[in-house]
Amino acid sequence: MAEPKAAPETEKKLIEDEALETLWELFEKKDEVGLEELISHTKNRDTVLGMEADGLLRIADGKVQFTEEGRARAKDITRRHMLAERLFVDVLAFKEDADLEINACRLEHAISPEVEEAICTLLGHPPTCPHGRPIPRGRCCKIYARKITPLVVALSEAEVGQPYRVVFLTTPMMERLAAIGLVAGSVIKLQQKKPSCVLTIDETTLAIEEEVAKGIFVKKHEH
Amino acid sequence: MDCCEERPGKGRDGGGLKKVALIGNPNVGKSVIFGLLTGKYATVSNYPGTTVEVSSGNINLDGKRLLLVDTPGVNNLLPMSEDEQVTRDILLAERPSLVVQVGDAKNLKRTLVITIQLAEMGLPVALDLNMEDEAMDRGITIDKEKLRKLIGTHVIGTVAPERKGVRELKAAILDGSSVPSVEVDYGPVLEKCITAVSALLPRANITRRSLALMILAGDESLGNWLKLNLLNGNLEKVEALRDECALKLGRPVGLVINEARLARAGEITGAVFKKTGQPEHRFVNFIAKSSMHPVMGLPVLLVVLFCLYEFVGVLGAGTLVDLVEKTIFGYYLNPMFTKVIKLLIPIPFIQDLLVGQYGVITMALTYAIGIILPITTTFFIAFSVLEDSGYLPRLAIMSNRLFNIMGLNGKAVLPMVLGLGCGTMAVMTTRILETRRDRLIATFLLALAIPCSAQLGVILGMLSALSGMALAIWILFMLAVLLFSGWLAGRLLPGKRSEFFMEIPPLRMPKLSNILVKTMGRVVWYLKEAVPLFVLGTLVLFVFDKLALLAVIERLASPVIVGVLGLPQKATEAFLIGFLRRDYGAAGLFAMFRGGLLSHVQALVSLVTITLFIPCLASFFVIIKERGMRTAVSMLLVITPVAIGFGGALNWFLRRFGISV
Repeated sequence: MAEPKAAPETEKKLIEDEALETLWELFEKKDEVGLEELISHTKNRDTVLGMEADGLLRIADGKVQFTEEGRARAKDITRRHMLAERLFVDVLAFKEDADLEINACRLEHAISPEVEEAICTLLGHPPTCPHGRPIPRGRCCKIYARKITPLVVALSEAEVGQPYRVVFLTTPMMERLAAIGLVAGSVIKLQQKKPSCVLTIDETTLAIEEEVAKGIFVKKHEH
Repeated sequence: MDCCEERPGKGRDGGGLKKVALIGNPNVGKSVIFGLLTGKYATVSNYPGTTVEVSSGNINLDGKRLLLVDTPGVNNLLPMSEDEQVTRDILLAERPSLVVQVGDAKNLKRTLVITIQLAEMGLPVALDLNMEDEAMDRGITIDKEKLRKLIGTHVIGTVAPERKGVRELKAAILDGSSVPSVEVDYGPVLEKCITAVSALLPRANITRRSLALMILAGDESLGNWLKLNLLNGNLEKVEALRDECALKLGRPVGLVINEARLARAGEITGAVFKKTGQPEHRFVNFIAKSSMHPVMGLPVLLVVLFCLYEFVGVLGAGTLVDLVEKTIFGYYLNPMFTKVIKLLIPIPFIQDLLVGQYGVITMALTYAIGIILPITTTFFIAFSVLEDSGYLPRLAIMSNRLFNIMGLNGKAVLPMVLGLGCGTMAVMTTRILETRRDRLIATFLLALAIPCSAQLGVILGMLSALSGMALAIWILFMLAVLLFSGWLAGRLLPGKRSEFFMEIPPLRMPKLSNILVKTMGRVVWYLKEAVPLFVLGTLVLFVFDKLALLAVIERLASPVIVGVLGLPQKATEAFLIGFLRRDYGAAGLFAMFRGGLLSHVQALVSLVTITLFIPCLASFFVIIKERGMRTAVSMLLVITPVAIGFGGALNWFLRRFGISV
């Protein structure tokens, strides 16, 4: 990650961030982006041209390039946006809709690098956003890359036969699960995933459907 | 199939005897212990949710008589389904002088979570750790002496099917016990709320603290009780406190309570519970895994179905029916009775009544004992083996997806499969489903498309005489109707299906003695319930025949029976008695088929129609009891035309495309 940034104070910075994010997305799909293309996406000619003056973009032959600083900021803001989306969808179980996008856009400007790292760790350093685009790696992801990644996964993504410790639950079934002893902190083992998930906890064998397993977040249990 | 269970409200007061309640997690063997203590048989199977009703019986201990109450299993005394509520309500409504808590020795932690709740209610508990043999097999030992000291109550170890430890259990009951000392501290926020709510509650059979905990956890099933028992104005205060507590904790209160209990239970378990690695049973494990494997599960299911078909369809409906109906009734009993009666009673009317075309002996008893008894008996035996092995919950895993189409989850396979035994018991078993919506859909599908064993046997017998093609068409057609009706019902009813969640018991070797006792009980129950209705149905036909009404009815029904379904007029009789019992109707068709009165296509169409036809009288009454009169009558009004509609459609299809079966 680049140098820590406080929440943007000015309107201008917000607009710049959006433009950087747009350009980042365009570069995901192709190697070259035309100036007019970027302007038509951002609908804001002045900002784009002003960003060259601010040292965020390089414009030559009608094509746009990131400067070092611009790339770092774009990567950063994109990463926060995608982490926010993941947080809403995976943990808070919101649907992917327009409302979610608006909230993610707001949150991306509001969180500090520490919070960003904490969210990333909580989510288990997810590789992609809910729409399947790659999330730019942060410093925290690199630290954990040597250990097991991702750290926290939904039970539906866990490996069969390995012991896992439950980290948190988001399924509406959590009280029913608690009644048979499955709470945060329990150690469980997945027996199979199809046609339904079967897991064991202590001496109890339990069958649940995939939807429920998606709401049980676990990390590998090491003795 | 609830041959030995008593209806609630009957015999529960036990004439002022002291009450002892059997409480425990599902599938830990409460009903086996009940049987051992009272000498009365309560249905025992290897799946959670066998007992959905309360049954009670007397125990005599050294001359001291007590009333023992068996209850449905609970994972939490905060009820999450109807069967769990039955149990909690017993504790709330009738203060037992002692609770015998039956627990699974290998699952001590979960057992203690219940103990904690019983202690909070202020109930004296004797703790019975059952299935010690299974615990031992898994290398588990429990220091019972230490546990006794820790919780301050009797702790007994038993292996119920082997009667191990029963003497000690009886001694403990006689001795009485004290309230376990396992208090849980729920933390300052919650404790303050508990105190505040408790102060507003009236005196009850269980402590105010336990009631306060239930209320704070948001137990909606307690709503009525609160309305009845709280002083004016206090209800609002309690509700306000509950909401405030939820707000302050910021997490579901029920969950916080549960976690605290689990943590406390975990502490105690840690002190007394030891597990050493133990070699696993390779073969049993293999079968257990295969039975729920996405690929291997299917051949396992096919083998199970094939065995069922061979045993019930071929042996029961083929060989045994031939023996009993054709040989014993046809060659010996009926001619003998006819001779004797004609000799002894010279009145033709009575002769006809007993041994005529619609005679009580020649029709009702021949059908009941000659055709249906061999079939139901073989089915009940096969079914008991399945129940006791623990295969049925594994079937739920395999079929969850299929049930999702019908707006249900895999758990519904239990009432559905039970419905293949008897619709009456199956409708009651829908109580294990979580929501009213799920229960309603399951009940409807049971009433519409699930044939009971008697019917199924007759149908299998008839189909095996037709062709493999006919059997395939019947099965596919019934599945299609089931899926389509369920899908439609799931769409039409508001709400979402509940998610699949089910505990899977270990596979166990069925015990011959339990299978025999259970089958015996069910056969006796069948005879008691079915034979009178068969006789009644025959009498109706007899009277109609004598009054020449039968011909009138047959003519009236002719547009439907002959026109839509393409059946001979005489088939009207079968549907007429089908109103009393579908299996009796099916038996009537069976007899017609054997007499050469039905062609193959006609046989298939009539079978499909009678399978879908209205549920028998007994299950109709249970539907009224469980779902209410309005629902029951609406189901009846939907099912009759639907059955005829589907039958007619099949008839048209088979004839239109000239499909021979």
